[in-house]
Formats: sequence, structure tokens, C-alpha cells
Amino acid sequence: MADKVPITLTVNGTKHSVHVEPRTLLVQFLREHLSLTGTHVGCDTSQCGACTVHLDGMAVKSCTMFAVQADGSSVTTIEGIGEIGHLHPLQQGFWEMHGLQCGFCTPGMIMSAADLLQHNAKPSEAEIRHALEGNFCRCTGYHNIVRAVQHASGQIQNQAQAADD
Amino acid sequence: MQLEGFNIIHATPEQVFVALQSPDMLAKCVPGVKKLEVESEGVFKTTLEVSVGPVKGSFSGKVSVLDAVLNTSLTLKVEMRAPVGIASAIGKIILEPQDAATKVHWSGEPQLGGMIASVGARLIGGVAKAQADIFFTKLEQELTSKA
Amino acid sequence: MAEKMFGKALKRVEDPRFITGTGNYTDDIAVHGMVHAAMVRSPYPHAKIKSIDSSAALALPGVIAILTGKDLVGAGINPIPTGWLLPDLKISAHHAIQPEEVNHVGDIVAAIIAETRAIAEDAVALVDVDYDVLESVSLGSTALAAGAVQVHPEAPGNLAFDWTIGDAAATDAEFAKADKIVKLELRNHRLVPNAIEPRASLAEYKRAGDEYTLHTTSQNPHIHRVMIGAFVMGIPEHKLRIVSPDVGGGFGSKIFQYPEEVIVLFAAKKVNRPVKWTARRSESFVSDAHGRDHETVAEAAVMNDGTLLALRVNTIANLGAYLTTFAPAVPTYLYGTLLNGTYKWKAIHAHVRGVYTNTVGVDAYRGAGRPEATYVVERIVSTVARELGMDPVDIRRKNFIQPSEFPYQTPVALQYDSGNYEPAMDMALEKLGYKALRAKQAEMRKQGKYIGIGVCTYLEACGLAPSALVGSLGAQAGQWESALVRVAATGVVEVLTGSHSHGQGHETAFAQVVADELQVPVEHVVLVHGDTARLPHGWGSYGSRSAPVGLSAITMACRKITDKAKKIAAHLLEASVEDMEHVDGKYQVKGVPERSKSFFEVALMAHLAHNYPADLEPGLEATHFYDPKNFVYPFGTHLAVVEVDADTGRTKLIRYVCVDDCGPIVNPLIVEGQVHGGVAQGMGQALLENTVYDASGQLVSGSYLEYTMPRADDMVQLEIGHTVTPSPHNPLGLKGIGEAGTIASTAAVANAVIDALEPFGVRHMDMPFTSEKVWQVIHASQLAQAADD
Ligand code: FES
Ligand code: FES
Repeated sequence: MADKVPITLTVNGTKHSVHVEPRTLLVQFLREHLSLTGTHVGCDTSQCGACTVHLDGMAVKSCTMFAVQADGSSVTTIEGIGEIGHLHPLQQGFWEMHGLQCGFCTPGMIMSAADLLQHNAKPSEAEIRHALEGNFCRCTGYHNIVRAVQHASGQIQNQAQAADD
Repeated sequence: MQLEGFNIIHATPEQVFVALQSPDMLAKCVPGVKKLEVESEGVFKTTLEVSVGPVKGSFSGKVSVLDAVLNTSLTLKVEMRAPVGIASAIGKIILEPQDAATKVHWSGEPQLGGMIASVGARLIGGVAKAQADIFFTKLEQELTSKA
Repeated sequence: MAEKMFGKALKRVEDPRFITGTGNYTDDIAVHGMVHAAMVRSPYPHAKIKSIDSSAALALPGVIAILTGKDLVGAGINPIPTGWLLPDLKISAHHAIQPEEVNHVGDIVAAIIAETRAIAEDAVALVDVDYDVLESVSLGSTALAAGAVQVHPEAPGNLAFDWTIGDAAATDAEFAKADKIVKLELRNHRLVPNAIEPRASLAEYKRAGDEYTLHTTSQNPHIHRVMIGAFVMGIPEHKLRIVSPDVGGGFGSKIFQYPEEVIVLFAAKKVNRPVKWTARRSESFVSDAHGRDHETVAEAAVMNDGTLLALRVNTIANLGAYLTTFAPAVPTYLYGTLLNGTYKWKAIHAHVRGVYTNTVGVDAYRGAGRPEATYVVERIVSTVARELGMDPVDIRRKNFIQPSEFPYQTPVALQYDSGNYEPAMDMALEKLGYKALRAKQAEMRKQGKYIGIGVCTYLEACGLAPSALVGSLGAQAGQWESALVRVAATGVVEVLTGSHSHGQGHETAFAQVVADELQVPVEHVVLVHGDTARLPHGWGSYGSRSAPVGLSAITMACRKITDKAKKIAAHLLEASVEDMEHVDGKYQVKGVPERSKSFFEVALMAHLAHNYPADLEPGLEATHFYDPKNFVYPFGTHLAVVEVDADTGRTKLIRYVCVDDCGPIVNPLIVEGQVHGGVAQGMGQALLENTVYDASGQLVSGSYLEYTMPRADDMVQLEIGHTVTPSPHNPLGLKGIGEAGTIASTAAVANAVIDALEPFGVRHMDMPFTSEKVWQVIHASQLAQAADD
């Protein structure tokens, strides 16, 4: 077993300086070392997207990188984007539109959708479907996920409008 | 799935024929080789690191040289095992002189089992081709640098 | 008056934890001292285990123990039984770890227990298993052929069972009268359920008391307790607690009792540490029970005017290497009995042979037998229409069972208690604009553009019941459900149910019904499920039974609470019970709202019993065991529209209309969600998903690189409608909806693709309709045409 290596990274605003085995995946680090179990693992071939988090503001599949590769970075997980009382518009949208059933894909879906809305605040249905291609959902048939993202997009625009007025 | 291909090596069939059975040469040229030793006449024990798409594994097993025809052809029997599955193959190598070089035809049908089959079967053709290219390129380097 | 909750599109109460990442799935649980298991799996489809050398693995630092099949057998661990026995069923022992022989790729030969998962997985590589490789067989019809490789000595010719239903002579007689006989050979290919949460199990053992707790990804923890406790490990019921926390989808695959559950329980006691195992996806592909895998020859006897006379069906059902929990029931009682569909066949005869092969076990996958039956019936009815030059809608209308004809006895055992098929079909046709689209289709064909419209007017039977009947057919389980409704002194209502939610939203929908029944705010109702220690009895969720059976049990328990509450209130009000009424959340003297007691007052008094009827027990709780009188029969019409690109073969779903009748709807949001997901899975089978074993018995579609799951841009927004025909026999008239989408959509999409390909002379082709396959048939037809010209 290789020696542990020191890394420092910020997760949901909290700085962590720890030693990890070099082969520890980022997702494993989040789940096992930080007990942030909202980020899920659904496959071993980087296909399902259940593990999606934001690394320095960009959506990444946290099963495809080692924790050591995130050294010095800032990670946001589902636990970090909103909480009850202060839900992220996407969290609210998924709730309002019944965008989840078993909930297992949901954190990854929300993180991928958040990445989309950062770049494209008013995506079309086709753009939403395209942006979520890397995330599997076996429960919802994607119907309400699309509506959830549309709902969030509307909410974000309303907020922006309110801020402008 | 039947795999085949050819590579050109700028060396004589005699040189290639010897090189293909030299443990030193193989240890230098086979991609991912971790260990290679002679078990008996024409039988090598070896450990290789191989990755096929998302499946990576350390394969150990035997490569035996069967019915070698001097400077013309060889048949190789490969039997390897790894935590990610099993791989076995009978491979045929034919050496054809071409000007000053040798055209090496290779063919074989790998049998995969376990995870490597379920996850990597469709990728194996591409992997084999790439590995062969690396192998023969190195072999040529070794042979021409010596010359 | 409290607002009625039944029928409201309430946001789900379970969602806040899931959208904030605070759900509690099995793999999320970590306990003190926990160690990890990893499985050594066979890379061969069929082999004898000659020897296992685990010395190198044991020497790896961090490895605690290595278990083999011999260890388990030696410790008295029994094989995993099947839960459904057919007459003369041939059973081969399925050990949690096979001691002598492996029968499919992925079969477990040893288990490693180590300090970390990584070490356990490293150690897997070091276990040296010497196999004697045997010939194998993976296709059902090949396994039945003379001289085929023998999978198990217990089943000569690989035949696990030979089953028939219906009247063969009557069927022959109808065939003799027919104007026309239409025959189809159909392959309903094998699928992998692929819940996005991989299976996981965490076992804990307490030496004090000799007690086990298993957290596991189960749709039915009580079934797991019976199977593991009573049959496999011999643990008394009260010493084995099964907890199924949040579960990330099941679709049938988490009904069954799996080897890994036994292994972690056994290991937890042996190493005296909690043991966790979580599947890698590549393990899921070779260890979760698969679905479907039928080869069928179907023949319909019909008259030239479109009257359907009789149906003859011959099916080979590939069961895989072992009979898993409900495997024998799926291609028999859940399939043969559904072959009548919504039509007035005069006779039906079905012959099903269940066959062992060297593949992963095949069991219930969303719909379980009913999608297979629907595929046969709906494909053949559409084919008949085409060969008679009829519209697929007209032939259905002509042959539907009429509302006045219920109860309707089918030729294949079921007695449908209710139904009204035409209004659902008409609503769907209307939504689609069927006539106009047919005209457009004809127009487009002239321009070399090909769309197809697929019709499926399905019926399904769910909520298997009653227990006595199902027992007589071979079920080793009861089919009732239990509920315990417990009112706290504060008036909070705790509802314990044997049903299990793994995405279906029971916490919300069930609370809505309870809130109405007890006339309490819905926020005061708390649902508890998935823990055998909290509710001792139950059978879980599968076969769309939660609403018709589980929720009926809860309703009946609530009614007992109301009866008792009335007695308490009557006592407090010095009135007679007969004079009490339950209105606006109060128990009041009829017509005298001033003389009333609130739910809270009654609940409190039930707990205090200070001023209380002498002959009444204190406390306010009720248990009900509900055993339905019959199945329930949801039905509906699904219309799929696909577009085929003739140049590339690319086939895409472009519209999907469905009208389902699942009886009264508790929560439309949840019901529609079930339909969406079901349709996506059925569409996935028709267009994308396939499970492929190569000639050597290797599963070559064992990852998401090869197994094509529907992604967001494969689906369209669905156009949904409902009709409401209540079930006549349960208290709320509820029917199931969990599987309807899957049952209907595969056939609807398949019919659409065949319809699109009509100009190319395609009468039938097997699913999945991948671009390559579709292009091949188009290309072949174009070549043939060119040759003709
Ligand atoms: S776990 Fe599936 S993509 Fe990361
Ligand atoms: S909600 Fe279950 S996988 Fe998406």
C-alpha cells in the first residue's frame, strides 16, 4: 500500500487538511472521510453521473478523479448548494415538479443541472435533455426532471429580475 | 472475435524470429510487462498490466511457443488470469520477408471471461491493435539500435 | 372541514432529505468497527471448482477471513430456496457460495473479509481458484435441444418445469373454424433491471442475545427475514432484524433474497465485526436477477371480419442458472393468465417450458410476466389487423370485452371484475389526433419520411390475491398486507406498513389517505416502513400491490381507530355511540357540533384512560391484516409515435400518449411519475437495452458502455390522461400503477416501429430496434426492390 499523502481542499466552504491514500477517489473521500453521503456511486465506468459534484465551479464526476487531484481545489456537493429553508432553485424545482422518485440519481442530477444553468440560464427542453445526457435516472423517465430544471430556470430569472428592479 | 493485423519491422526474418523468443527482448518490448521468466523451453511465465477501457488488471500466466517453423512462423498459446477475469488465445505469427524488412502477420482469437468480457469485450480489438503497434515499434527499435 | 387530501397533487414529504443529500441508503451507513466484504466470482459460465488456494490472499495485511462454500455448508447454512413451487419443479441447490460447481459468470466462489474495501478487493486478486472448465449453454432453446449441455443433473434436458394453461382441445376447435391463422415468432429479450443504487448489505451481530441485524437494499424486508431466518440460516425470527432504509429503486430486482446477504450475516458472526458489502456496477450486471428472456411462437385464429377466435402460445422461458425467489411464477401465473388481454378470445392455450442455462437467474423485472404477455397479445393483434387490412384501432374496438360483460371469465383462469376499455382508448386517440396523424403519415411516406404509430390497449392484473388462491398455485408466501396505526397521546399518527417504498412516495400518498380517514392534518401522519423490528409482519412491495393491498390494510386499520375513537368520545359526551358522527375532524353528537370532542382530546383520553368506558381497552391503535378478494385490473391505451430515419436506421420516439385507468388516484403527481418511469423502461427495452451472452457464455453487455440505458434525450414529454374505474372489492377502489407503463410501452413502441417499417415490407422484427438492425432491414428491402425494378 502506498504511503498516505497530505492534501488540502475546501469542501462546501470548509477547509480540510488530511492524509489520504493516493488511490482514494474523490467520491470515496467525500463519502467515507467527510461523511458527505449525498454524493452517490452508481457505476464503475463513469457513465451514470450519480457522483457529480462541482470542482472549482465546474461539474465533474467525482468517481473519475482521485482525491489527490483535487488538492488545492474547492468542491461543492449537494449538501453545499442549499438546505431546508434555503433551498437552491434546483432543489426547489425538483421538489415542486416531482423530479425524483427513489432520489438516488437526484444529487448528481441537480449538480449537473446547476452547471447547465450557470452557463445557460434559460435552456430549451432539448438543451436540458442534452446537458443531462451524462446522468442516468431509472425512475422518472426524465419527464419531471426536465420540468424541474425549467422551473428552476424560471425561478432564477425571476430572482434576477427582482434584483434588477 | 478473430483479431488480425500486420506490422513491418526493419529487420530480417531471422532477427525477428529470434527476438520473438528471447525473454530479454520480450521483457523490454511487451507493453505493461512486470515480470517475465522462462519456465521451460519455449514456455514463459509472465505478469502484465493491461487495461481495457475501464477495466485494469494485473494478468499473470503462461505464454507457450508451439510449432515454431524456423524464421517463418510461430504459434503462441497464451493463458492469463487476473482479478478482472481471464484471457486466453492461440495466436499465429507469420514472418514474410519484404525487401530488407519483415512483414509480421499476426492473428488470433482471444477468449475473454469474467468482468473483462462483460465490460471490455467490444474494446478488445482496438486494445490488441494498439498493444501490437507498441510491441512491434519497440521491437524494431531494439533490433535496429543493436544493428 | 379539513381539506380532502385524496386526489391532491401534494409535494412529497420524503423529498427534502433526498434533494439535500441527506437520504439514508444502505451504503451511506457506517458503524463502529465495520469491515468490508468482496466477492470472488467465477469468470466461467460453467466449471467445477477443483481447489481454492487462499493463502496469498490471507497473507495480505488487513485481510481478516476468507470464506468458501465448504465453510458455509460445514456450518449448516442451507441453499437459498425459491419462493414459488410449481408441480414437479426441478430444483438445483443455490448456495450463497457455491461449494463445488459454478453455473454462471459471476457465481460466487469465495468471499473476502478485510479491514477496508480496497484491501478486500485486492485480496480477491490473490485467491487462486483452480477450475475444471465445462461446456456451457446460454440460450433457452439451445438448452432444450437434444444433446444440449446439461446445466444441473437434477433437471434432465435442462427442463425446470413444463406448464400449460387453457383448453387445448377448445383452442384446436377454434383454429379449425378460423378463416385465417396468423403466426409470429417473438423474442422478448433479456434485460438487466439497473436500479441506479447498486445492491448493498450491512450485517451486525450481537453476541449478547445472539442477535443479527441486516441493513439491506430490499423491497420486502419481511420476505428476506423469512427466507434467511427460517430457510437459509436457521435464525429465529425475533433474533433477525431486517432493515431496508432508503432504497434507490428496485423494479423487482430487490425483491429477491441474494447470496451476499447470507454471506455478510455469516461473516459478521464469524469475525465478530459488522460487515458491509456494496456491489460494484460490474457485479450488479452479473449478480442482480435479470428479466424477460422468452422465445415464443404465437398463433392467432381469426375471422376475416376481424373477430379474434383463439390464441395458441408456446414459450421457452430462460430461467438462468438458479431459481430465484419468484422465478417460477413469472413466466407461468404472471404470464399465461394475462394472455387474454382486453379481448373476447373464445379459447386460449399456452405452453411454457422453464429452462436452466448458464446465465444469471431471471426473475421479476418491472411488470414481471405481464409485459411479456402484453407483448405477445398486442403484437399479434396488430399483425392480424394489418394482414386483414384493418386499422389496429378498429380490430381492438371490435373485440373488446364490453362493460356489461363484467365479471368476465377469461379462458386463462382470471376473472376480470371490472373494466371499460373504449373510453380510455378514445381519450388517447383524441389526445394524439389519431386520424389526422394517420393522414400525415401517409403524406410523409410519399416524401420518403417514415413515422409509425403503435397502439397498445393493455390490461394488467396486480395486487396478487387472495392468499389462499395464490398459495394453491405454489406461492410460498402470503399475499395479504398488515398495517398498524398508532395514535400518540399528542394526536400524532404513526402508520406502520408492511409495504415498502423505494421511490413510490408512500410517505406522502399513504399519509394523504390516513389524513382523510382520521380527519387529521396530513403533517400529523408519519409513515414507518422497512424495518421488521418496528412492524412484525408484512410482505413488501412488488407487483403493484402497495396501493391496492398495503393501503387497503391501512384504511381498514384507520376505520378501526375511528370506531374506537367514537366510543371514547361518546363516553366523554355521555352520548350513545350510535349517535356519534365523525365530521370536520371531530367526533360529535349527530347534528350538534357544540357537543364534540377533538381528535386530540380523544387521543389523550385513550392514553390517560381517566374518564373512560369500562369495557374498552386503553390506547388508540389498531392493526389490520388485509387479504384482498381478487387481483385488481388496471388497463389503458398507450400510443407511441416513432420516426425512422431511412438513411441511418435511427429510430426515435417522438410522441407518447397514454391513458391509464388505475382507479381513483390518491396523488396524481406520484401516479404520473410512476407512468413516466414505467414508459421509459418499456421504451428502453424496445429501442435500446439488450443483454448479450456470447457463444462462450460470457456476458458481453455487462457495463453501461454496452448496455444502453435510456438517457434524457431518448425520451419525450409524455401526454397523459386517466379514466377512473374503481376496483369493486377494496375499500378505496384502488388499483396499482407501478408497472402499467412498462407493461404497455414495450408493445406500443414495438408496434410503432413495425408500423413505420411497413413500406419496407417488414412484418416483424425482434427488439431492440437499434439503428443497425433497422438500417439492415431497410437496406435489404431497398436492394430487393432495386432487383425487382
Ligand atoms: S459513479 Fe457513475 S459516473 Fe461516477
Ligand atoms: S429518482 Fe431513482 S434513479 Fe432517478
